[in-house]
Amino acid sequence: MTSDKTPTVKAARRRDTYRWSARGFIAPSVLLVAVLLYLPLLWTTFLSFTDYNGLGDPEWIGLENYAEMFDDPQFMGSVLNTLLWVGGTLLIPVGIGLGVALLTWNLKGGIWLRLPFLIPYALSGIGVAVIWSFILGSDGALDQALGAFGIADTPRWLVDSPLNTVVMIIAIAWQGVGVNALLFTIGLQSIPKEPLEAAKLDGATGLRLFRSILWPMLRPLTAVVVGLSIVASLKTFDIVQGMTKGGPGRSSETLALTMYKETFVNSEYGLGSAIAVFLTVVTLAAAILYLRQQLSSKHEG
Amino acid sequence: MSRVIRTTVLIVLGLVWLLPVYLLLINASKAPEGFTSKESWIPTDFSLFSNIGDAMRLSGLGESVLSTLVYAVVSPTIAVLVGAAAGFAIVALRLRHGFAWFVLIFGGTVFPIQMIILPLFDAYSRVSLFDTRLGMIIVYTAISIPFSAFVMRNFFTGIGHNVFEAAVLDGASTWRIFTRVYLPMASSALVAIFILQATFIWNDLLLGLTLSQSDDVRPIVTSLAGMQSTYGGAQMATVLAGGLLVSLPTVVLFLFTQKFFARGLALGQ
Repeated sequence: MTSDKTPTVKAARRRDTYRWSARGFIAPSVLLVAVLLYLPLLWTTFLSFTDYNGLGDPEWIGLENYAEMFDDPQFMGSVLNTLLWVGGTLLIPVGIGLGVALLTWNLKGGIWLRLPFLIPYALSGIGVAVIWSFILGSDGALDQALGAFGIADTPRWLVDSPLNTVVMIIAIAWQGVGVNALLFTIGLQSIPKEPLEAAKLDGATGLRLFRSILWPMLRPLTAVVVGLSIVASLKTFDIVQGMTKGGPGRSSETLALTMYKETFVNSEYGLGSAIAVFLTVVTLAAAILYLRQQLSSKHEG
Repeated sequence: MSRVIRTTVLIVLGLVWLLPVYLLLINASKAPEGFTSKESWIPTDFSLFSNIGDAMRLSGLGESVLSTLVYAVVSPTIAVLVGAAAGFAIVALRLRHGFAWFVLIFGGTVFPIQMIILPLFDAYSRVSLFDTRLGMIIVYTAISIPFSAFVMRNFFTGIGHNVFEAAVLDGASTWRIFTRVYLPMASSALVAIFILQATFIWNDLLLGLTLSQSDDVRPIVTSLAGMQSTYGGAQMATVLAGGLLVSLPTVVLFLFTQKFFARGLALGQ
């Protein structure tokens, strides 16, 4: 709104003319978002300080839910699993995605070679879960393939912990590599030609070219991809719900799943809300870092 | 690295990536009677269509297809228009404190859905919106608005304000300027948002899980999840066929509109 800093009388009057119509145009958005997103948000925050199971009235108990939450070894287990998800999804889908983007960069037929990685992207989490449960089940497709090579003593992929979380991360990686490759490809294509040509003339190839030219130039985009990946992985729910339901026992639960179970299975509304608040605080912290990067890169451009 | 090596690596890796798709296709095609989980890698027969038919009858998947189609069309349509109106108010009509309103609306997508599902469930039960199509449409619309307003505000910023002033000189009302000038100019952005949000809604599990329960209201992915946990052992071919059926629309849509997706993701969803 830089042009509004020294408003002329005319401009001020014009703005006044449209004051009510501007309010009318923004009202539906504000109303829907306020009633369906912000009001529930506030209510969840309130409930996290109460004892409530849906019947009667919520009873204020201060920080008790939070104390109970951090005392619970199961909760800490689900925090650890969630961290494993954050780390794993950065390492595998983002890493391989960058690899695929670099390999297809300036390559004839690159579009077609990228296609196999893109097919799984638009699958729902449950779609991925259906396929991978079939592959990883006991004596499933993977065990049969390994058996053909004489490996009979395979681990119980979805039962042993933390292996079950690791194989689910691989399933999500299978889905996520394509879109990361696509984003990095767009980044690579937007790198100006001149410094690249200059570096190539200086004899920079392979790893050197990557480290001195490509990587610094991809930095802003990498920050976006990493931010998206962290925020998404903190909220991991669908794939785990579809493949192990957090089990066996509670060994593969993520924070999002623990919240769902405490709330809708155990009817511990207060405790479930406290977990939701915790998840939100962590996600917000990650999102703020991501947004800051977005805004600052926009100023540069 | 030479081109040959790069191409070879990509082909090998690409084939590995297609293996799960191959397994899905051949096993979803096997007749349930002769289905054995011992020979997952070898195609036997082709009963894909009868399996899909069976899947439609199991767990109410057929009824879900119809409702989900309604959700995935109606909600993004409303959200796109409502979000565009917000962008129009902020950019063209220069709403006072426009940026603050924008941040307020956009902030609605920043937190996890976990933060709102319990009060929504509670409130929906009280006002009889629980397990209704209307209730699902309302929540999907609200949740699609922030992203829509975000993109539309950015898009309208790119349109010179003289366009608006010229329309005013022609004597057009703000409503007319919005519907006849701004919306038509934004059609590509509107379509992009629509596709992204429709895909998001089609693939939703959590809201379906908490706000619906009957077959004809439950969205399709939630039905598939129910079907998998109920019949995953006994009728594997049918469940896989169901998975294929649920996945096909979004995968096809995505492959045709990759660039929209990438742009949308880069924009910050």
